[in-house]
Amino acid sequence: MAKKKHSTNQQVGRRRWLPRFILSGNRTFHRRYIPFTRRTWFQGYAKANPRSLVREYKLDDKRPWFWIVGLLLALVVPMAVGTNLVYTAAITFALYSAINLMWMLVIGTAGIFSLATLAVVGVSAYLTAWLSIDFGITWPMMLILGPLIGLLVGVIIGLPALRIDGLYYALLTMGMIELCRVYAVSSKIFGAAQGGLYGADTFIPEAWQFQTSGLVLGYMAAFCLMLLMLGIYRVVNGQRLGLLLATARESEATAEAIGINYQFARFTVFLISSAGLGLIGGFYAAYYKGASPALLSIDMVMLLFAMIVIGGIGRAEGAVVGTAVVVFIDKIFIEYGPIRLVIIGLIMLAVTLFTRNGLLGIRSQFIEFRNKKKSERRAQRTEKGGEALTEEATEIVDKDQIYYRRFDKRLRENLKKLVTPGLIEEHRQKPLGQHSDALERVLNYFRRAGGENKYVLYEIKPGIEYKMVATTGIKGLLPRNVDDVVYTDKNVALHAVFLKRVQDLMES
Amino acid sequence: MDMFTLMSGLQLTCIYGILAIGVSIIWSSLGMLNLAHGFTFAASGYGAWWAATTFSQSAWVVFGAGISTGALVGIGIYFIAFVYIYDKPNYPIRALIATMAINMVGVQTLMWLFGPRMKPLPKVFGSGVVKLGEIIMTYGQVGTIMCSVGVLGTLLTWLGLSRRGLEIRAVMQNPEGAALVGISLRTTALWVLALTGALAGLAAVLLSQTFFVHPYAGLQPLIKGLIVALLGGLGSVGGAMIGAVIIGFAEAFTASYLGGQYVLMVQFGMIIAILLVRPRGIAGLLDESREE
Amino acid sequence: MNALLDVSGVSAGYGPLRVLHDISFSINRGERVGLVGLNGHGKSTLFRTITGLVDWQNGSIMLNGVQIGGKRTHGPGRMTHRIARQGVALMPQGDAMFIGLTVRQHLDAGAFTRLAWSERHDRRERILEIFPPLRKLLNQPVGKLSGGERRMVTLGRGLMGDVKLYLVDEPSLGLAPKISRAVVDALIKVDLADGAMVIAEQNLQLLEGCVDRLIGMHGGEIKGAADALSLHSEIG
Repeated sequence: MAKKKHSTNQQVGRRRWLPRFILSGNRTFHRRYIPFTRRTWFQGYAKANPRSLVREYKLDDKRPWFWIVGLLLALVVPMAVGTNLVYTAAITFALYSAINLMWMLVIGTAGIFSLATLAVVGVSAYLTAWLSIDFGITWPMMLILGPLIGLLVGVIIGLPALRIDGLYYALLTMGMIELCRVYAVSSKIFGAAQGGLYGADTFIPEAWQFQTSGLVLGYMAAFCLMLLMLGIYRVVNGQRLGLLLATARESEATAEAIGINYQFARFTVFLISSAGLGLIGGFYAAYYKGASPALLSIDMVMLLFAMIVIGGIGRAEGAVVGTAVVVFIDKIFIEYGPIRLVIIGLIMLAVTLFTRNGLLGIRSQFIEFRNKKKSERRAQRTEKGGEALTEEATEIVDKDQIYYRRFDKRLRENLKKLVTPGLIEEHRQKPLGQHSDALERVLNYFRRAGGENKYVLYEIKPGIEYKMVATTGIKGLLPRNVDDVVYTDKNVALHAVFLKRVQDLMES
Repeated sequence: MDMFTLMSGLQLTCIYGILAIGVSIIWSSLGMLNLAHGFTFAASGYGAWWAATTFSQSAWVVFGAGISTGALVGIGIYFIAFVYIYDKPNYPIRALIATMAINMVGVQTLMWLFGPRMKPLPKVFGSGVVKLGEIIMTYGQVGTIMCSVGVLGTLLTWLGLSRRGLEIRAVMQNPEGAALVGISLRTTALWVLALTGALAGLAAVLLSQTFFVHPYAGLQPLIKGLIVALLGGLGSVGGAMIGAVIIGFAEAFTASYLGGQYVLMVQFGMIIAILLVRPRGIAGLLDESREE
Repeated sequence: MNALLDVSGVSAGYGPLRVLHDISFSINRGERVGLVGLNGHGKSTLFRTITGLVDWQNGSIMLNGVQIGGKRTHGPGRMTHRIARQGVALMPQGDAMFIGLTVRQHLDAGAFTRLAWSERHDRRERILEIFPPLRKLLNQPVGKLSGGERRMVTLGRGLMGDVKLYLVDEPSLGLAPKISRAVVDALIKVDLADGAMVIAEQNLQLLEGCVDRLIGMHGGEIKGAADALSLHSEIG
């Protein structure tokens, strides 16, 4: 509804602050890359600072550090606290983060608004659990079959996305999940009577099940799963597929015009994420030893959706942070029962109403707001032909020009005040000779002006006829005629030139 | 084709049609996909039940309470999900999320206030049957169909003839142009949400003749209503009605001949098929005017 | 005697771009004024500022003594409907159309006061007299009309309400000369009563004989004014 007609992307702003470390030694151009890539560790580059001429190591991006610290905390804190409750919560956190990361790949990178992620996980969990219970498959097999099942389901769910429009597709997926749930709840093979399947093989040894050690192992495994999903997200989003789709996100027509087959790219990303979700489903079945229809309920979808909304749609950080927030609230308020869903819902509402893109988008939202106010305030101070706008200033190579423009503007303002009818009359009476201070200043300004569009007199016949012309300032190009008036009196002609110059001054 | 199937098909058509038209109008005039419609539905059911148990069981009270509760919830949605964000960036997604949040919070609150046990609503149309030769119809079915047709007919006529209706339709086409002729987007939004809320309330009372009132009562009708609106093409009232016929009868037939658990599958199969052929729904011309 | 529209010290722009620089002028009742200037020099922005559709604006705009301008940096378009109800009708470049509605519904949409709505049949007749080609198009959806016909519909819509100030933006844009002549003639036929009309137009020839005076805009500033006589002598 916010129609942006006549919108401009120009903003005033501040430069980002990036951390720097002073280095010793003289090895300027040695860079260590992460193996098999052309990317340096922590996005840091050793450069010489153009101002201080000292060699320093500058980080181009602060985010890897936030990730490292966050993940370390996520690993260490549950171990430090050590209670069973915290471990269970941590496992839930890791699993949901993994799901949300894949979901972010679909919604953010591929731009497909799908709500059917849990359908893939659920179907994969159910099928692997069933295969394990009825056919005795071991857990490594479950983990291998999971992605394959996910891929298959992904093909079925993803094909309509190519043809059906965004919002329609979203509602369709909502129905698909409900469909799966209804089937799971009413089908005997999938344990409708017992409320789910139970009894699949698991990777936790018998002795450790229901013990803290089992939980620790489970958390380690889930954490690795989460790291794997994070890796997949980074690779897909940051490399070729993600970059192709970034163009398509901005404008599909442009992408197609360049020759990017974005439909194919989208489908590929969808399939990759489905495979990932299938793996998560297999893991789920292998850890919890079964599957339940709760995994397919709309409530669960809403919960996960709340997580990515609160964190911020479209960023991996958002998925993880949002999950952490919601899981935290979920477990802390567990004694209050369904009220905690109300709390989560209210937080989701508040985040949506007040932030543009979730909690993690608050900083950029604030910066944009501040820039907008700054640019409006700056615009209200701009005057014609005065201060150069930043956009112009960056184009000008010789920065002295900008200061000269400023000076010239101020000078002209002062001169305009000096031009009075009395001054003009004074010049008319005596164009040449001694002048008053004010007239002298004005005349000096005119005389100092450059050769472009300067009004001068052309002696057609020396001493007899004069004409006013304007020089072009370009070598070899003849002056242009201004009007057809021929003056016989030199003083009158000089005054005419003066008047023309004054008129230009007053209008500038 | 037996009478029972036919009648339940008609009944479902009416109810889904009412919900779908509400969703369609909200989408095309406000650009918001109202997922809180399910909550509106459930809350109206509770409103009617409370009025029936507190005041009287008469049909007027039940209908009146249901419709007013629906309108009130609609106005609430206006104040929470619309007013603050309608001209901010990312508005459509944020409105979707906000209504989803309202749905979540609302349904849980209903659960907490009234408990999960289902509540019955008095039969507003009486419990008799009408016999037309071989055909047997319950009062409930007849009443539902006549009521829906009557209300929808009145609504559509009003939309077509009145000033307020014209304003709503103008805003549906071009909000800036509407502002230039003095039509206030905010007032129009209030009317649209209140009216569609009242419609959902009506649908709730009608559907509760067959099913009970409970907090999640709104979920399936919401999904079906959304599906029908999609099928008809978001923004097209006529399309929504056609879609309602298709989906309503599909449900009735599948339930009678194949069994209840296949209803959703059949409906989805049909929808995917139709959307593959006409990706914007049956009559989705108006959707073009919304894209910018 | 109070001027109908009194604009003083108005600056406006989009983001960091300032388009209007301290504009001041006034329009008296019963006047038809032509606003001339090249494209991109602020004529449309001036109209959008008066109706509150720009990103930000400064300065005072008084309509009949009531302040409708002022410092504004909220979303564009929030106040627009209120300004429209005060009696300002903007007929924008490119016509803000309701594509799915018929011509009759368009015209009816313009009658936004209760009085206008109850009189809408009569008013519609009046409009059809001014724009005869619309008579047979009454039930056509606007999306199917040609450029000239759409322009007529927009003008007609603007004429339906109780409008005091007409702001017509480039009535001849994209139209063949004969049709733009017809459109401008129709604009002259409008009885201004207590109101006024400002026509923004690049094509000076069209305005000849129509307007009482001219205001020139260049680079976002008012540059020059002329009354009808000197205009006539310049051209004719």
